[in-house]
Amino acid sequence: MRVTRLILPLFAFVLTAAPTGLRAQEVPGPDENIPYLITFGREGGITSWGDDDFSQTFFFALPKDYKDPFYIRVYDPDIGGKTDELNNFWNTRMVYSIYGGKGCYTHLEANGIDPRGNYKSGTLMATRTFGMDNKLDERWFTFGPFNPADGEYYPKFLSNIFKIICDGVSGDDGNLYRYAISRRPDANVPVDGANAFTYEYTFRMWNNNDTSFVSHIYPYVDSGCVWVQTRNFDWDNDGDFIVVSVVRKGEVLPLSGEDVWETSRIQVYDEEIGKSLDFRFYKRKGELVKNNNVVVSVQNQFGENLPFFSAPIGGVPVYKPRIKVVPKK
Amino acid sequence: MRKILKHTAITGLILFVSIAVLNGQAKGTFEVTQISNISSSSDEMAPVIMNDGILFCSNRKTNPFFTKKNLEGIRLYELYFAPFNNEGEPVSPVRFAPNLVRDANIGPASVTADGSMLWFTRNNSEGRRLGKKQPNRLGIFTARRSGSQWTDITPFEYNDPEYNFSYPFVSADGRYLFFCSDMPGGVGKYDIYMCENVDGHWTRPENLGPEVNSSSAEIHPFRHSSGRLYFASDRPGGMGGLDIWSSSLVFGSWTKPVVMDEPVNSTADDFAFYAGQGGMQGYFASNRRNFNDDIYSFASTIIRWSACDSLQKNSYCYEFIEENALKQDTLKTGFRWEWNFGDGTRATGIVAEHCFSGPGIYDISLDIVNLITGGIEKRQASYELEITDIEQPVITSPDTIAAGETLFLNAGATYLPGMKVDRYYWNFGDETVATGLEVSKVFALPGRYNIQLIVSSAPDAGGVVREVCVCKDIEVSAKVK
Repeated sequence: MRVTRLILPLFAFVLTAAPTGLRAQEVPGPDENIPYLITFGREGGITSWGDDDFSQTFFFALPKDYKDPFYIRVYDPDIGGKTDELNNFWNTRMVYSIYGGKGCYTHLEANGIDPRGNYKSGTLMATRTFGMDNKLDERWFTFGPFNPADGEYYPKFLSNIFKIICDGVSGDDGNLYRYAISRRPDANVPVDGANAFTYEYTFRMWNNNDTSFVSHIYPYVDSGCVWVQTRNFDWDNDGDFIVVSVVRKGEVLPLSGEDVWETSRIQVYDEEIGKSLDFRFYKRKGELVKNNNVVVSVQNQFGENLPFFSAPIGGVPVYKPRIKVVPKK
Repeated sequence: MRKILKHTAITGLILFVSIAVLNGQAKGTFEVTQISNISSSSDEMAPVIMNDGILFCSNRKTNPFFTKKNLEGIRLYELYFAPFNNEGEPVSPVRFAPNLVRDANIGPASVTADGSMLWFTRNNSEGRRLGKKQPNRLGIFTARRSGSQWTDITPFEYNDPEYNFSYPFVSADGRYLFFCSDMPGGVGKYDIYMCENVDGHWTRPENLGPEVNSSSAEIHPFRHSSGRLYFASDRPGGMGGLDIWSSSLVFGSWTKPVVMDEPVNSTADDFAFYAGQGGMQGYFASNRRNFNDDIYSFASTIIRWSACDSLQKNSYCYEFIEENALKQDTLKTGFRWEWNFGDGTRATGIVAEHCFSGPGIYDISLDIVNLITGGIEKRQASYELEITDIEQPVITSPDTIAAGETLFLNAGATYLPGMKVDRYYWNFGDETVATGLEVSKVFALPGRYNIQLIVSSAPDAGGVVREVCVCKDIEVSAKVK
């Protein structure tokens, strides 16, 4: 029920965010400027490479009026080759599972930040395990077709929801990948009005020591939010983390070090309610932190997780300075 | 002098009351009108405002069959009271308190502020004729009000039958008594003396000294509530005959008397000046017409606004606030705010202050510098600031000056868009005025003077004249020695 309350005002925005939604078919989205999602194999429980739980869940929301088949595509789903992260030798297997049906989203354990309990709730629509496979290296793999009606219809969201979970079931290498939903199996053709979101974002930072490489994620701030607590993991002090909104030019928050969490609390202003925040991550100048993988989540004062939308609700927040001029006596 | 001789020789009673409220004013700052309602072919003089009318003395004929005269055959002076009509004009005079005198002159009087006591001049001896070799000199007396009557007539304790004591004037607070006397020890002829009431007793009379008194006669003392002392004197330097002079007590010394300008003074005898509380209107006596002493009213023609806006200082200084950033002012931010004030100057900070050189339209813009990347986001916000002067007449002058020094005042910075100024009128706060864009003024006395600048337009097509007033205080310090 917490999720329900958080999401209530959202869906209307999702529907009206069509222009941005058109570009939201890929995860990470274009506004996020994140090179890859990443999930490590769980063998040995090694979190110091930048994955706290070896699992990543994303939700796709398709407008209820969309009736045609669609596909879920994964870029570079295998583990090995050019774009993944090697740990000694390639021995990792990833399982991609797609769920629809009742409970795939609304189940209490489906939308947390940890892969616990029945987080694989819903009806399994498709699953496939990948290991090292040169044929899929830096290529798209397509799941589907799926019938939008097979998702969990979330009436207050006016969308059919599907869930995709990437679990690193074995090995200890890092799997770099991306998602897309598409109307075609062989190309990324957007589904109008669709969006994607997660509650814990695990991704790869750019391999560059230029501060102009800025990655963004966009938590949505619901009504009733007074403050939020951000959590970031294993950032290796790689650069700067600032929060931007329509009324917040850039509040600097602390970044975590190696294999540790860093939390910080920020006040939410009235003007930020019903809009997205912009969490910006600047790469550090100087010595390059290579292959930096990080985890981010954010909760409100009730402990509810805030969703990160690939296409930010309300668009990318643009800070608007407001000049006040006061005559001096 | 002629007037004094006339009265002393003929009646033994000197009947001048000095009223004076103003000195140093420009010519023509008063309108003077003879009060025809109480004039007669005889003499009227020494007007004093009392209750709702004026008290004065006259030697007019009141009985067609019988007239009281002195040994020289001159009619005796008596007190009269003329109440104000609805227009505030004294009319229909009647004898005042006939019981105060019998077969003698009674003349210039003064009433305490609470109206309970009357001080008046009268021949010391009444009701009987004295021999020609026995002058019946003047003395000062008091009477107390008892209902509608004046009783308990008491001679002033310092009266001396060998000398004249006359023209009593009691200050508004009842503390000081001014009078005139020809007793020995004076500067010359009639001098003005002062006593102070200490614990219910009057101190010994003190001559006001050579600054006020002269070898000529000084009579009719009147001290206005403003502190200024007015009197009549035939001393040199006047316009002729008796003139009205004034002096002020500054740091324990009387200032050099100043003669009042026309039309209060004239070439004839002008005396007995008495002003109301504000000093803008009152009465005096003069024989400028037909050689009879008549009572005149005066009213100031000086323009002075009762409600005049204080001069506001134009400020071209502003505080610029980036309101959204101010919310996070205490937080660590990765940006720097840089203001461009549109006049070639810049400042940094979420809040910045800047003073412009003057009126104008300024394009204020805000750049934001990313401290992480070093990038500059230009003109993230802008603000067109139009600075105009305050719409007001402007007095440009020093705020302080020493007495005796020339203060230059200028109205050139007046900013009244849409109004074509036709006249700049200055009221210097000491009942003097001037006109013109640039004027100068010398304050003789230290103090704080509230200067008003009243600007007016020429009449428009409908005959409407627009006037605007602004005022400013000037501190005048003691004269630099």
